Amino acid sequence: MTGPAQILPGNLDLLILKAASLGPLHGYGILLRIEQISRGALLIEQGALYPALFRLVRQGLLRPSWGTSDNNRRAKFYALTSSGRKRLRQETKDWNRLVTAIASALGTQPEEV
Amino acid sequence: MKVVAFLRSLASGLFRRSQMEGEMDEELRAHIANRADDLERSGLSHAEAERRARIEFGGQERYKEECREERGGAWLESLWTDVRFGLRMLVKSRGFSALAVLTLALGIGANTAIFSMVNALLLHPYHFRDLDALVRVWEDRGIDEGYDARYVAPADATELSTHNEAFENLTTYEVRSFTLGVGSEIQPVLGCRVTANFFDVLSVSPAAGRIFSPGEEQPGTDRVAIVSHGFWQRRFAGDPRLLGGQISVNGRSYSIVGIMPNDFDYPVPVELWVPLALTPEEKGDRAQLSLQVLGRLKEGVTLDQARATLAGFSRRLAQDYPKTNAGRTMKALQLRKELYVFTLPLFLLLQAAAGFVLLLACANLANLVFARMIGRQREIALRAALGAGRGRLGQLFLSETLLYSMAAGVVAITASFASVRMLRASIPAGWTKWVPGWDGIRVDGNVLAVTILVALGTGLVLGLATVVQATHVDLNNTLKETGPGSVTPAKRRVRSALVVAQVMFAFVLLVCAGLTIQGFARLARVYQGFEPASVLRVEISLPEKVYPDTVRITNFYQQLLRGTASLPGVQHASLITNPPASNVDSETTFFNIEGQPARKAGEASSADLQIATPDFFATLKISLVSGRLLSEADSANAARVVVISRGMAERFWPGADPVGHRIKLGTVDSAEPWVTIAGIVGDVRQNWWNPMTRPVIYKPFAQSAQRSMTLLLRTATNPTSYVSGIREVTRRIDPGIALRGVATLQEEVSDSIAIVRIMGILMGIFGLVALVLSSVGVYGVLSESVAQRTREIGIRLALGAETDALMKLILGHALKLTAIGLAIALPISFAISRAMTSLIFGIVSMDVTILAGFTALLFLVALGAGYLPARRAMRIDPMVALRYE
Repeated sequence: MTGPAQILPGNLDLLILKAASLGPLHGYGILLRIEQISRGALLIEQGALYPALFRLVRQGLLRPSWGTSDNNRRAKFYALTSSGRKRLRQETKDWNRLVTAIASALGTQPEEV
Repeated sequence: MKVVAFLRSLASGLFRRSQMEGEMDEELRAHIANRADDLERSGLSHAEAERRARIEFGGQERYKEECREERGGAWLESLWTDVRFGLRMLVKSRGFSALAVLTLALGIGANTAIFSMVNALLLHPYHFRDLDALVRVWEDRGIDEGYDARYVAPADATELSTHNEAFENLTTYEVRSFTLGVGSEIQPVLGCRVTANFFDVLSVSPAAGRIFSPGEEQPGTDRVAIVSHGFWQRRFAGDPRLLGGQISVNGRSYSIVGIMPNDFDYPVPVELWVPLALTPEEKGDRAQLSLQVLGRLKEGVTLDQARATLAGFSRRLAQDYPKTNAGRTMKALQLRKELYVFTLPLFLLLQAAAGFVLLLACANLANLVFARMIGRQREIALRAALGAGRGRLGQLFLSETLLYSMAAGVVAITASFASVRMLRASIPAGWTKWVPGWDGIRVDGNVLAVTILVALGTGLVLGLATVVQATHVDLNNTLKETGPGSVTPAKRRVRSALVVAQVMFAFVLLVCAGLTIQGFARLARVYQGFEPASVLRVEISLPEKVYPDTVRITNFYQQLLRGTASLPGVQHASLITNPPASNVDSETTFFNIEGQPARKAGEASSADLQIATPDFFATLKISLVSGRLLSEADSANAARVVVISRGMAERFWPGADPVGHRIKLGTVDSAEPWVTIAGIVGDVRQNWWNPMTRPVIYKPFAQSAQRSMTLLLRTATNPTSYVSGIREVTRRIDPGIALRGVATLQEEVSDSIAIVRIMGILMGIFGLVALVLSSVGVYGVLSESVAQRTREIGIRLALGAETDALMKLILGHALKLTAIGLAIALPISFAISRAMTSLIFGIVSMDVTILAGFTALLFLVALGAGYLPARRAMRIDPMVALRYE
């Protein structure tokens, strides 16, 4: 049985964009959403989420707004902007290409060479 | 899009800073609260859930700092924080701040003061439009004529202005002494005869009235004058009716057509300009180089191109007029650089010295900052632990050092207003006449800009050095330590290197200062060969109209000499063309030696030419070396004789006695008679920049009388008390003759070396500052290292180390650093002093005693600076030291 995998900072941005694309979320919500959609396979250092969120806001990929969370706390919600959506599409495509390439490279059998 | 987002977040970063901080806090708190809620739901106690949520989140402050950095405008915001922090530190440690600011202000201020001179004298000696296009042109006869002989023959000048490709416009002019009729009196004034386009070339226009028209360049229609602003103010109290009025110049009536603006004083501060109206005969003169030429280059033409066309032009002239023009070349030099031969080496040296002072100040301050940094190591480690990256720390130190350097810049600028005033006050009044730009020394926009740049650069360099030093902090060890921060060997090496650098800069500066001051002192004594004390000098110029021939000229001067010599208390009265320390080069002549192969113009030997009356040598107490002096017997009808200087005799008749030999002035085929050398006299330094042994030929006045002479009187008492007597004598001979340049020779000697004196004083100040700064630096580092080694010293003492051995250890450290610094500095100072020797007219010469003296002095300083901390170390009580944490 292996534990959850650590993720790289660049991948964290991609995951955040993906989580936010499923509907505006506050920071903790994004964390839960990522855990949910990765079925608990990915471990995110909780605090590290926030510098990433600030970075994505500065890049204009996320739009923050204040609202109220389910348990009636004031919280900052992050929604994907149109350029965020574009970036997510692009990065997803790049990621899939990379994964396919690496998978096929790793799956190569001796007789195929 | 991104830009907009960036700007927006920058704006919020700037304007909604506290709000953003509050929101960030709230956001993170909400996250932890949400997490805690979830954990509590899963069965943990409330307190335990909160604790776990915090642990899972990680270092809040670190993430906050990272968030701030991710957000735009973070640097601006943190800069503001840092500046405020820096200001608080500045106020809190007042002693340190005052020392730091003062040290830097010394360094920056030195540069400001010198740059104000460089700016005025080298960069902007004149305020003409497109100054770099203005070029002086002169004919070089191929003999060493000193620095003043930049003249063109009238016919060549005329031909040049009609046939030139390189210049937009060329003007010809000459500075002349005029007599001005004021009521029934006559006063001498300095004026300038100029071609009509003179003001166009310089591109200046009069403050009132008009400039000359080409038609006024003709004799007969030339009775118009443009006067200087000073003339207008002094003599006519600024009366606007002066324009169109009449003045009497050289006995003729001129109408005033223009008044120049206040700051216009080209070519020298003159009182009036009149048209250069040459007679056809004068215009055709190719033999005498008598006029000055200034041109404005055509747009796009470089100085080198102009020089090439001038060379071609003079070759053509030499072909067409071989008799007069063979061997002559036209040369050109930017007007701005005309005096560079004097000013450039002097001011570059001063600027370099000021730069060294600044470097020294920086090294000193870096040491101070590093020393303090050791005390701040825990603060730095704490900041690093809380998530401050290297860049962030760098910004902190940069803003601190920049604050210091900016404060120092402000102090320096304030002080430079005073120092510039002092500089200007130390310049003799007459100096603006010789060096354009002296009166332009001020703190202007350029000087301010350079000061600010220097201050900024200093702060940056210091800040970066601090960053490199400070950010190599071992977090764990520093935070764990309880005592004062420790110093790693690497750091101690850096600080030792700084001390070495300080010793080096100080030594180089001291040697330069020492050599300059020694050179200056020698110069003050260097008007040797004569005694300037108790001698009065008076310049006299006889008007050509009243004194057209030799008989009348000789008559006047004979009466003058007789009259003044009989004044009670006058020991000797004599005439000379160019007295020593006049700041003017003597007229030069080439000559041929009888029996030696004839040489053409341009290849012949040359010498300074002086015309003297027999008593001249006695007046100045110039010694006779061999043969005889000039005497009354050398009259107009007697055999032609000259007396030559010892330097000339040794150069042209090495090992032989030239007395009795004959020479001919000018070319071999000229009409000049052969003259016999009657005697040899001692060498006299003409001006401070002339070599002592410059060859001089003295002709007897009776055999070659001329109108402009200087009267020299050796008196028994205070020479100035004879002025009224001389005036009375002159008035009785001819009331129309004016006396100019009345001064004691001692004053002239002192004034003539003002520029070198100022330089000597400034270098002396720099040297002193260097000495103080470097001794403070050596002391600081040594006492620091003793403090650091208190424990070690205590253990050594407890184990029975001899105090002598310890003393040796600490002093040895000081001496080692000094020795390394000196080892680097010696070859540098040697090279610099050699460069100085060749640049500054041989005033400065390498002197081993100075090198040895300053070496000893710096070792002494190091010993002194090491002794105090060493003594402190000796008194350490081993028990206290061992307990010392």
